[in-house]
Amino acid sequence: MNHHNNNQTTPSSPLHSTLPLPHRPIADILTDAPRFLFFTGKGGVGKTSIACATALALADSGRQTLLVSTDPASNLDQVLGLELARTPRPVPSAPTLSALNINPAAAAAAYRERIIGPMRGLLPEPTLREMEEQLSGACTMEIAAFDEFTEFLAADGADAATHAHIVFDTAPTGHTLRLMALSQAWTGFLNHNTSGQSCLGPLAGLEKQRSLYSTAVDVLKDHTQTRVILVSRPQPAALREARRTAQELENLAISNQCLAINGWFTPTHPDDDVSAKWAEKQSRAIATSKEFLASKPLYLAPLLSDNLVGLDILRAFFRSTTNNIQNGTPPSNPSNPSNPSNPSNPSNPSNPSNPSNPSDLAEELAASGRGVILTMGKGGVGKTTIAAALALALAERGANVLLSTTDPAAHLQDALNGETGTLQIERIDPQAETEAYTREVLASQPDNLDPEAKALIEEDLRSPCTTEIAVFRAFARTVAHGDNGFVVLDTAPTGHTLLLLDATQAYHRELGRQSRSPHHEEAIANLLPRLRDPAFTRILLVTLAETTPVREAADLQDDLRRAGIEPQSWIINQSLADLTTADPILAARSRSESKHIQEILQNHSRRKVYAVDWSPLEPIGRHALLHLIHHHNTTTTNQANQEPT
Amino acid sequence: MITVSLFDPPMCCSTGVCGPVLDPTLLRITEMLQQIKSLGATVERYNLAQQPAEFARNPEVKRILNDEGTTALPLIFINGELVLKGRYPGETERTALLQRIQNTSPSDPQ
Repeated sequence: MNHHNNNQTTPSSPLHSTLPLPHRPIADILTDAPRFLFFTGKGGVGKTSIACATALALADSGRQTLLVSTDPASNLDQVLGLELARTPRPVPSAPTLSALNINPAAAAAAYRERIIGPMRGLLPEPTLREMEEQLSGACTMEIAAFDEFTEFLAADGADAATHAHIVFDTAPTGHTLRLMALSQAWTGFLNHNTSGQSCLGPLAGLEKQRSLYSTAVDVLKDHTQTRVILVSRPQPAALREARRTAQELENLAISNQCLAINGWFTPTHPDDDVSAKWAEKQSRAIATSKEFLASKPLYLAPLLSDNLVGLDILRAFFRSTTNNIQNGTPPSNPSNPSNPSNPSNPSNPSNPSNPSNPSDLAEELAASGRGVILTMGKGGVGKTTIAAALALALAERGANVLLSTTDPAAHLQDALNGETGTLQIERIDPQAETEAYTREVLASQPDNLDPEAKALIEEDLRSPCTTEIAVFRAFARTVAHGDNGFVVLDTAPTGHTLLLLDATQAYHRELGRQSRSPHHEEAIANLLPRLRDPAFTRILLVTLAETTPVREAADLQDDLRRAGIEPQSWIINQSLADLTTADPILAARSRSESKHIQEILQNHSRRKVYAVDWSPLEPIGRHALLHLIHHHNTTTTNQANQEPT
Repeated sequence: MITVSLFDPPMCCSTGVCGPVLDPTLLRITEMLQQIKSLGATVERYNLAQQPAEFARNPEVKRILNDEGTTALPLIFINGELVLKGRYPGETERTALLQRIQNTSPSDPQ
């Protein structure tokens, strides 16, 4: 079977339309698929779409297939059009496919019920409620979700055993690497624990877990059983993240890896300026990672006009990529290219139904003098970019600015290209924070501490749970810095951030219960009040004007509101709404944006909405970042037709 | 043989290092229990969030939880006799507790 279809079927495509590396169409990913397939990558690269299409194709070939999402902010429900639960649900019109969602909150609820349920009627209600509260923390959520994950890997339950393939659609990188590494961390912890106690409960009851976790470790390492598909976009940050992930998985001895480049654009109109810039941008991105891309089997999926939603579209995506990948007419894109001009004229600044200029946001924030600015949203929408750009804009106005991130996979220095100026840069790195916390705890012990007691404390500190609290404490301290200047805090993709917010609330309640304790640290005790203070904390919801990121940001907004936090504004990043292009796909994307922008303005935002234009330049380095904030179309001028510098 | 039983309030780990507040008292308790063990006594420690069945099984603990709720935790028993309720022992009490165990011969059948 040869799918190396390199013959151009379109008239006179520009040079950069062909990926200059050996590759195969995405549908070929089904060939020799092992039992476990993991789709991972930076947020927004299309993990869910490709995982769904793969699972569906495997199922359609007659094999019992299970699709499992491990993303706490999973969009699998919407993509499949099916409400998912903790246990597999059959997917209608795909008889051999079922799907489920490992949701940490739901997993923790089930875990709680296993402990508390048998105590009903035996212990008083208020006592049960206290237990429930304690078992709602970050540690329980992580363990419960992790337990469910390993059960599928170890093919332990009947659910897992009956499936020929289990396809994992994972959360963005940071969260997923943690999940993968946990199998080894807990196995090591359990093997070396001497106290008989752990955050998982008394060790005597953990024999099942112990074998489950070590089976999971073996399965992940076994290349005949497990393959990881590193999904990326032809975009530098996504490619860098794929490369780092490949290395980290390699360190965990998970080495059956391949690459899928999603969103490959093939220009159809040689004279179209936007098409040419788009193609140049992706070629430059590929050029930065050629060696890495050539190091693993490479699969290619085309750029589409909007997110893939629904079974028919998912099926068509795989069936036709084999033939259509080179000719730029992907299946889900029946858009009409006949009218290349942008039908809307969204750039009239006097029209209140248009997003505002992001430099106004920088002015408004600067005027407030201090506080915390958080960028939140789905993976891949540009949270790091916007955070870095705003931090630079504030520093340019003379403010004292600390730029930090809670995303273990984020790299602020990459975005700034080292051009930090007066910015102070930090990051909340789980490993470094755990080490610092460990040193802090041990240093606070008296010199004459009993050696065995010291060993016990060290053991608890080695528990993977300690990472949760160490990260939380670092988060609280970073937020407290906003008392003395600006803290611009880039957050991890939604799922991870939601867990951090849940932890904040759970710890806050725990502090309330422990009010007798004199050991409160100010930063921790006041974290939630600070986050709820609109004069101190400003949350910027960053999104692309596409179906899934907008929905995820809106859901996040609901969660924030439930926690008593109102987002300050929405930022639509990489906006194409003003583009004029003859290319049918880009024009369709531009058109569909207008609809999403109106949805944000009318249904979601209670305050301001800002738009940052798509730029033919990668937003890397001081100049390019500030350009995003200050250079904005306030007229109908087509920015993409101007020279970027 | 002496048995010391400690019934903790619901918590994540017994040293408290995985909670939001680093409570030095909890670390001292861990240390004290180690010392009690080294004196030859048996130590039982139960966490309400992980071993609730032990709380339900002990009639005295169950009665206290019914009457007073979880604010009565922690509870410390020596051979079934309640010696401390609602808080962890301070430094003087820890010394006294250790003294008491030391003074009782490990082979003392009570």
